[in-house]
Amino acid sequence: METKSRTLEITILSAEDLRIHNKSVKKNAFVVVQTDSFNSKTTKMNGKGGSSPSWNDKLVMDMPMHTRFVTLQVKCKSLGGRDKTIGLVGIPVTDFIGGYSPETCLQFLSYRLRDPKGLKNGILNVSIRLKEPLQACSSQAAVASGLGIPIDGRNDFGVVTGIPICSGYQFTSFFR
Amino acid sequence: MGNCCSDVGGGMAAVSGAASSAATGNQNDAVDMYLRSHGIHGLFSQIELSFSATSLRDRDVFSKSDPMVAVYIKERDGAINEVFRTEVVLNSLTPTWIAKYTITYHFEVVQNLLFKVFDVDTQYHNVEMKMLKLEEQQSLGEACCTLSEIVTKPNRSLTLDLIRREESVSSTHSQHCGKLTVHAEECFSSKSTADIILRCIGLESKDLFSKSDPFLVISKLVERGISIPVCKTEVLKNDHNPTWKPVFLNIQQVGSKDSPLVIECFNFNSNGKHDLIGKVQKSLADLEKLHLGREGENLYLPTLVGHNYENKILNSKLLVDKFSETVQHTFLDYLAGGFELNFMVAIDFTASNGNPRLPDSLHYIDPSGRLNAYQKAIYEVGEVLQFYDADKRYPAWGFGARPIDGPVSHCFNLNGSSNYCEVQGIQGIMMAYTSALLNVSLAGPTLFGHVINRASGVACDSLSTGAKKYFVLLIITDGVITDLQETKDALVKASDLPLSILIVGVGGADFKEMEILDADKGERLESTTGCIASRDIVQFVPFRDVQSGEISMVGALLAELPTQFLTYMRRRDIKPST
Repeated sequence: METKSRTLEITILSAEDLRIHNKSVKKNAFVVVQTDSFNSKTTKMNGKGGSSPSWNDKLVMDMPMHTRFVTLQVKCKSLGGRDKTIGLVGIPVTDFIGGYSPETCLQFLSYRLRDPKGLKNGILNVSIRLKEPLQACSSQAAVASGLGIPIDGRNDFGVVTGIPICSGYQFTSFFR
Repeated sequence: MGNCCSDVGGGMAAVSGAASSAATGNQNDAVDMYLRSHGIHGLFSQIELSFSATSLRDRDVFSKSDPMVAVYIKERDGAINEVFRTEVVLNSLTPTWIAKYTITYHFEVVQNLLFKVFDVDTQYHNVEMKMLKLEEQQSLGEACCTLSEIVTKPNRSLTLDLIRREESVSSTHSQHCGKLTVHAEECFSSKSTADIILRCIGLESKDLFSKSDPFLVISKLVERGISIPVCKTEVLKNDHNPTWKPVFLNIQQVGSKDSPLVIECFNFNSNGKHDLIGKVQKSLADLEKLHLGREGENLYLPTLVGHNYENKILNSKLLVDKFSETVQHTFLDYLAGGFELNFMVAIDFTASNGNPRLPDSLHYIDPSGRLNAYQKAIYEVGEVLQFYDADKRYPAWGFGARPIDGPVSHCFNLNGSSNYCEVQGIQGIMMAYTSALLNVSLAGPTLFGHVINRASGVACDSLSTGAKKYFVLLIITDGVITDLQETKDALVKASDLPLSILIVGVGGADFKEMEILDADKGERLESTTGCIASRDIVQFVPFRDVQSGEISMVGALLAELPTQFLTYMRRRDIKPST
């Protein structure tokens, strides 16, 4: 029987060097984790952490088989009530499935956050573990979802992280 | 001429007695300071060696032998220096000596020890140990080993056969005369650290126009009421309800959990004369009770009433927000628990090394036996790490060359086989290296990505079998890499594996670009997909930089290794024993 979704245990550890409008973030940052449009969870807010808050918050959520990215958004509560997005990152599922470490093993990963305009804005540290090991039937599902011909004979299923481009921006700012 | 004003900022900083993530775990900060000032940065730890022996030869006529042990250290230049003598045990062929020898264990150095057992004649029994002339005593045998051999044994005991060398010409005949057992213990009794968050409420104002700037000083009480400061928090400005940053106290430092401690709250003054706001006397066990009970303790202030000091109880309270005790396992604990460091080697065979048959090539094998840079690097690093690997089988690869029948390979087995990559012992690596030189033609370019991915594969296979292994890959190269981004990608992927990478740069190239890979000297590595290395696993040292001075190349290279190992284990909460 094919499993429809897997259980993902993601612990949001900490973030470094968060900035908003070119100033360091003072407080009240939190992270929203989303595996698809129906599954989303939020960490607690970090009151005092400043630009390098630490949460150490473990979230357990479902991850459907077709998920390609786990999206993490770092936001902060602003006075007006509307949350501001400080940075976000999409973790390709292949980064923790089918990679080096066995999946049920705890993996520590760190990612570069980019703000909504695409500029670098800090680092996010997480640890991820999958509850169930990969079964034979689900690997078939992974194969089925790959489209096209692999380049250069590689079997990565070609998931990459794209960087959004905003019109009117200096070209050189992305490569800092 | 000194500064006009004191360093107020420095004076306000917290001073802790214990490092929060102590990798060295030494109990003596003065020793730490001394060793660091002499350039010894690696892992060092105080070890106590105790001795016992069995089946000693009987040398006395009417009674049994009266043995003692003398310990010698063999220096690198061949000199043998005596460092310690135990006491004499009377009339025993299976003695257990009480006197223990304290030696500092250095991870990155091979420490050769020589033990000699003597039978002390009756006429010398009342002579002080130091005055005894050992040449006049009868030797019962000697044995030698390295310190790392002792600490890597499961129960930290090594039993050696005593060998007696005959003074006569037929010295090839050595007799076995008993066994000597050397046992090692790490020197601190308690590795527990208490992590405490302290908070005060309702402090009184000591400054005229503003609120107090409070800070805490924690001292331990020794006999006769003298208090010795153990740690001090940072200064919080203008705060009557301060919460200080966590304080880490090594329980052994303060004595025990029940030792009385004095916690004093002062108001910071930049003129150095801090006013006492209040104090409290509690032990660590009391602080833990306060934390569990969520209650506060009132501070008191000794005030002068008439001619006596009375303790005036204040309304201010001290609260404990957090009290947690952790046991810090040391590197040696993991070794005793069966963890191994597996050594792997990758050698650069690119054409920039020069034709191996010419004497000016970095790969030239000198017929006189002088080691070239590659052989030296393999030998010096392997010599230290070999004791930490149980089966002494090391994967060895070469890169950047064309094997006899094939295209350029960026990761080929040094032993020439196409099935397995391991060789036996350091000698095995040397032999495979010299034979590979004859069988491949140097090519290029210098790419690390393949070798790192291969090593990562080995580490990953071991992870899935649950083995207690940590891998160390030594890459020796003469040039700057051409695939910096692929190498960064491979390193980022490998950063979460039980792997450390040591890179030695030989020859005269400019290795500035390689320093980017070592996160000590730059930023955290970032891959093309936006993934960042979760820990720094690279250590890079140019061979020529450390030829002079007290710091050896091996020292600089291996210094961080135990810390990287401990970071990996502690993060995953892997304990030494199952």
